[in-house]
Amino acid sequence: MSGSGTADVATGSAPIRPILANSCARATSAAEARFRIDMPIVGRRAARVIALDDGAAGVLQDVAGMPWNGAHFYTLAGTEADTGDLDDLLGRIELRGIGGSDDSLIDALRGADVAVMVATAGGNASVAAVIGYACFLDGIMTAGLILDDDGGGQLGPTVTALRPHARVILVTSDAQDIAEVLIALRA
Amino acid sequence: MLRSDINELLTQTGPGSPMGELFRQYWIPALLAEELPENDSAPVRVKILSERLIAFRDSDGRYGLMDEFCAHRGVSLWFGRNEESGLRCAYHGWKYDVTGQCVEVPSESDNGNFCANVKLRAYPLVKVGDILWTYMGDPAKRPGLPEFEFANVPEDQTFTSKRWQESNWLQAFEGGIDSSHVSWLHSGGLKNDPLFKGTKANDYNLNDLRPFFEVTDAPGGLFVGARRNAEEGQYYWRITPWIMPSFTMVPPRGDHPVHGHFWVPIDDENCWVYTFDYHPVRALTPDEVAAMKDGQGVHSRNIPGTYRPVENKDNDYRMDREAQHRGEFFSGVRGIAIQDASLQESMGPIVDRTKERLVSADAGIIKARQKLRKAAIALRDEGVTPPGVDPAHHRVRSAAVVLPQSEAFIELSQADLAVRVGVPQSSV
Repeated sequence: MSGSGTADVATGSAPIRPILANSCARATSAAEARFRIDMPIVGRRAARVIALDDGAAGVLQDVAGMPWNGAHFYTLAGTEADTGDLDDLLGRIELRGIGGSDDSLIDALRGADVAVMVATAGGNASVAAVIGYACFLDGIMTAGLILDDDGGGQLGPTVTALRPHARVILVTSDAQDIAEVLIALRA
Repeated sequence: MLRSDINELLTQTGPGSPMGELFRQYWIPALLAEELPENDSAPVRVKILSERLIAFRDSDGRYGLMDEFCAHRGVSLWFGRNEESGLRCAYHGWKYDVTGQCVEVPSESDNGNFCANVKLRAYPLVKVGDILWTYMGDPAKRPGLPEFEFANVPEDQTFTSKRWQESNWLQAFEGGIDSSHVSWLHSGGLKNDPLFKGTKANDYNLNDLRPFFEVTDAPGGLFVGARRNAEEGQYYWRITPWIMPSFTMVPPRGDHPVHGHFWVPIDDENCWVYTFDYHPVRALTPDEVAAMKDGQGVHSRNIPGTYRPVENKDNDYRMDREAQHRGEFFSGVRGIAIQDASLQESMGPIVDRTKERLVSADAGIIKARQKLRKAAIALRDEGVTPPGVDPAHHRVRSAAVVLPQSEAFIELSQADLAVRVGVPQSSV
């Protein structure tokens, strides 16, 4: 570890300089880990979790009852994403709060740092385009979770609707994945 | 973020631990076949899943893997003599066969009953491909032998190396399903490495540094798809399969050999990384094999006579700041394998996952942890056989494909993700 100050013959790399234990890669020991700065991590305060269809809304009803760091949960007050241009639709999407207040999409996303869209395979996920557009405008991270209970042929259109608008899509048959992902994201 | 109790559950693999029992449901690599090159060659110390073992190949070519220490006085059998179909302890001459059965106690030569009652714990050791595999679980539940394609193609089509990584297995494995780091940490390798360079795929990788991800269940684990923009109306997909507990494949590039890894816990603070390259339909070229032996691609250049990389934590991985500034290596560390190892070891022997800040792009890691946890608990509480034990689950490939933007990778790529004998990998 202390080095000889001579060039390495095998590789021709630069000479190894004398170094202290904690200034080299040896400092990855469990003992050295005790000296890492230990600051409390503030949870993510601005996650927005939006159910895109009725099936997803039912699942979110349960998830929303768990303790969260400030995540807000919503369902759609109405599906109006099939017609009109995105700027127009942006002002028309209304969300119904689960255990919280109702908001317009624009208000709900104000200050958010991640938007998680939840859908079920075969559900109408067309509103993802509007949510994704709003997140794009405000630089908000996006994710899509699709519940596919039977692994059948309903998945394709839902994935296709979400794909352009979600940085990551997780397809799962396990509804618990929604809570798992949100916990991992400190929502 | 992961709760500390779950972090402990996933990272502890010793006997009796839930994750240790999970690993003991599978055939796992114990050592390379080259470590026991001939009958009666020197025995090899092996430590896996926090058990100290000794491996040997007897006079008849049979492989054995058993407790490292003699039942008599606890002496290491590494000092023993491998001769005449058994391993003889150097201290008092007790001799064991490949099943761990004591076959000779010289001081009690007229007491056969004593000898018959002495047996060291032993595990099966079987050669498949370049690897000697072991199964450390209940003999009654021993599954069929591994059917991973890399281990079952003709000998001249495959190459396997291994290296010691000084970290827990989980943080090493997680790098294998974290496709988003490739465009950063390994960007130099895409341009320069002989086993990577010169493919259209590299342009896609380097022209789009913000991939989108899709994660979906597979019978044996997961498929993690990373998509980047390709030509107008198309996406470039790189699809990484994970087969439980710790087998991953890297999506291919052009006609280069396909590579991947198997991470095996040594103990809770160290792991073996088995790294393979193979081609499904042709022999590896001499240049390709030479590059692999030289630590190119995803292999490592090891200290001669050991499986410790030349670039390791004792020499700061031979950090080269000038190469970093030139853009030759993004992190300044040479070699894709060591670029990964240096960062994963820097996290500490067992990273504290209560302190991490995951983002949505980490969904593959989040899902993999959940699958491991659920499988370990289901095995412990209900005896449920975990995914990936069935050899049929092993018959998958990674793939790299260009698809229309409207198509889901998992639906269009089923054939690309399956082993097809005589058919090359799906690659760009």
